[in-house]
Amino acid sequence: MKRAASRLVYTLIVLFVSSVAVFYAIRLSGGDATAAALPGSATEEYREAFRDRLGLNEPIYQQYFTYMGRILSGDPGNSLTNNKALTSMLSEHGRNSLVLGGTAFGLVFLVGIPLGIVASLRRNSWADQGIMSMSTVAMAVPNFWLALLAVWLFASRLGWLPSAGCCSTKQLILPAVVLAFEGIALTVRMTRSSMIESQNSDYVRTLRAGGLSEWRITCKHVLRNALIPIISLAGLRIGQIVGYALIVETIFGWPGLGQVLVNAVLRRDYPVAQFFSLVLVTIVVMGNWVADTGYTIANPRLRKST
Amino acid sequence: MSAVETKSELGEAASSLKGMPLLEIEDLRISISSEGSSFEVVKGVSLTVCENEVVCLVGESGCGKSMTALSVMGLLPRGVARVTEGKIDYEGRDLLSLQSRELRRLRADSISMIFQDPITSLDPVFTIGSVLKEVVRSHRDVSRAEAKEIAVRALVEAELPDAADHLDSYPHQLSGGMRQRVMIALAIALDPRILIADEPTTALDVTVQAQILENLRARQREREMGMLLITHDLAVVASVADRVAVMYAGEIVEEAPVEELFANPQHPYTQGLIRALPDISVSRGSLHSIPGRVPSPQTPPPGCLFAPRCDHVLDSCWEANPELQRDGAQSLRCFNPQPFEVR
Repeated sequence: MKRAASRLVYTLIVLFVSSVAVFYAIRLSGGDATAAALPGSATEEYREAFRDRLGLNEPIYQQYFTYMGRILSGDPGNSLTNNKALTSMLSEHGRNSLVLGGTAFGLVFLVGIPLGIVASLRRNSWADQGIMSMSTVAMAVPNFWLALLAVWLFASRLGWLPSAGCCSTKQLILPAVVLAFEGIALTVRMTRSSMIESQNSDYVRTLRAGGLSEWRITCKHVLRNALIPIISLAGLRIGQIVGYALIVETIFGWPGLGQVLVNAVLRRDYPVAQFFSLVLVTIVVMGNWVADTGYTIANPRLRKST
Repeated sequence: MSAVETKSELGEAASSLKGMPLLEIEDLRISISSEGSSFEVVKGVSLTVCENEVVCLVGESGCGKSMTALSVMGLLPRGVARVTEGKIDYEGRDLLSLQSRELRRLRADSISMIFQDPITSLDPVFTIGSVLKEVVRSHRDVSRAEAKEIAVRALVEAELPDAADHLDSYPHQLSGGMRQRVMIALAIALDPRILIADEPTTALDVTVQAQILENLRARQREREMGMLLITHDLAVVASVADRVAVMYAGEIVEEAPVEELFANPQHPYTQGLIRALPDISVSRGSLHSIPGRVPSPQTPPPGCLFAPRCDHVLDSCWEANPELQRDGAQSLRCFNPQPFEVR
C-alpha cells in the first residue's frame, strides 16, 4: 500500500509537469487564437480586445494558474469554434473513445496473451513460426496504412463491415482491431519470451522434481510468473492506444477524443486542443499508475515485506 | 561388459554392509548437443545407492556429476542433454524407459531431489505452504487440512523455525538457509526412499552449511533413505558420506568407503583433491593445486583422461584409458597407482 501511495505522489508530480508542458507548448506553437474565433474582417483593435478578454495578454505563468484553477473548479471553458462547453464535449466524445480504446486494450491482452502462450508451448512448430512472423509484420506496418488497407479490403472489396462511423458494434470492429494491432504483436512476443524464460527457470525444475504435472506447472506457475512483466508494461499499451487513437479515430470517423483533438489543432481552437491534450496526458499517466499498482498486486516481492 | 560386472559385484558387497540396493545406475552415458555438435559429458558411469546409505559423488564443476543426478529424476535440460545409453534401475524398473506419467508419480514420492541454489529454486509468486500442499496433494488423495498437516510436519522436520507460521510466507521473505530447509521439506514430505542432493550447501553461508548437512543426515538416518549427495567439497564428504565415488571428466575414477578413501586414496586425482584441502594446523602454508586443467569434453585426450595432469604418467596411459578395476571395497581406474603421501 505504501508503494502504491508513493507511486501516486510521483504520478501527481508527473501530471503537474506534463500539464505545464502542454500549456506552454500550445502557447509557443504560434498562430493566432483570434483567427479561429473571429471573422477575417475583424479589426486589429477588436482582436486585441478579444485577447484581453481571454486573458492572453497576461504573463504566461499567471494564465497557467488561472486556467488550472478553472479546470479544477470544473469549468474549463468553451470551444472557440462552436461555443460548446468543453465538459459536455468531454463526456460525449470521451464515452466514444472509452468504448474504442477499451475494446482495443482488451483485444491486446485477450488475443496477444493466448497467442503468445501457444507460440511458447509449441516452440519452433509451424504455429509458433506463423504467429511470430505475423507479429513481426504487425509491428512493422504503420497503423494509418493498416487502417486504409482494412477499409479497402473489408469495406470496399468485401463489403463486410462499414468503413466509418459510430457507434454500432459493426462500426467498432475495424477501428478497434487496427488500434490494437501493434499492441497485440508486442504482447505476443513478450508473452512468448516470458513464458519460455519461466519454463527454463530453477523453480519450474523444483516443481517437476515435486512430481507436478506439466499441464499444472504451465497453467499455474509458469503462466503466473510470465504475466508479471506483461502487466507491468500494460501502462505502455495505454499510452500507445491513446497515441494511435488520434490517427485511427480520424481515419474511421470515430467521434472520440482523438478526432476532436486533431480537428481542434487544425482549426486553431486552443481551448479544445489544450484541454483535450491534458485529458489524454492524464489518461496515459493514470493508466501507468494503475498498471503499476496491478504489478504490485501480481508480484508478491513488491508487497509489504517483513 | 566389465563395467557392468564390476557394478553387480559392488552391489553385493555394499548390500552386505548396508541395506538392499535401491538405485542402480549402469553404464550411464549422457550427451550434450549444442549448435549442431554433440559431445559426451557422462561416459559410462555405474553407481549403486543402497538403503540407509549416503553415497557422495565428488568432482569439480563440469565433471558430469549433476547431469548424472538429473538423469535419475528425468530432469535433464530438454533439447540440450540426453541419455544415450545405460540403465537406471529403481525397484526393478528402468527409470529411463518409464512413461513420463509413471516417472512423475515416482518423483518426490519415491525419489526426491534438492538443488543447489535455494534462492532461485522456489516459485516466487506462491507461498511455500501452497507449493508444499500442492506437491502433497498431487501424490496423495488427502484433504486440504491433511495436506497442511503433512506440510507443517515436513517443515518441522526440516527444522525451519516457526514452521507453521511460515506456510503463508513467500520465498523472498526467507533467508537462503531457510529456503533450503523449505526445499528439504518439499523433498522429504512424502517419505521418499531415495534423496538426491545436488550441492545442497554450496550456495549457503558456512555457518548454515553444517546445520543443513546435519539435518539431511539425521532425516536420512531415521528414514533409512538412500542418499546420493553431489558435492565438490571434501569436507562435506568427510562429514556425511558412507561411500564416495570420485568423478573426473565424465568418468568415475575411484570409488571407496569414506574412511578408506581419505586414509588411502589410490587415484592420483583423488590424491590431488585430498592434498588440495587447506590444512588449518599449518598456518600460511602454500596451497596445493592440481596442475593443468580438465580436458574439454569436445576434444578428450587419447588414453587416460587424467594423463595430461598426472605426475606418474606411463607410456601406456597415453594409449588406452584404464578400466575401472575393483579390489576389495575399492574401485580404481588407473594403470599406475602410487601410495599416498601426505604432503
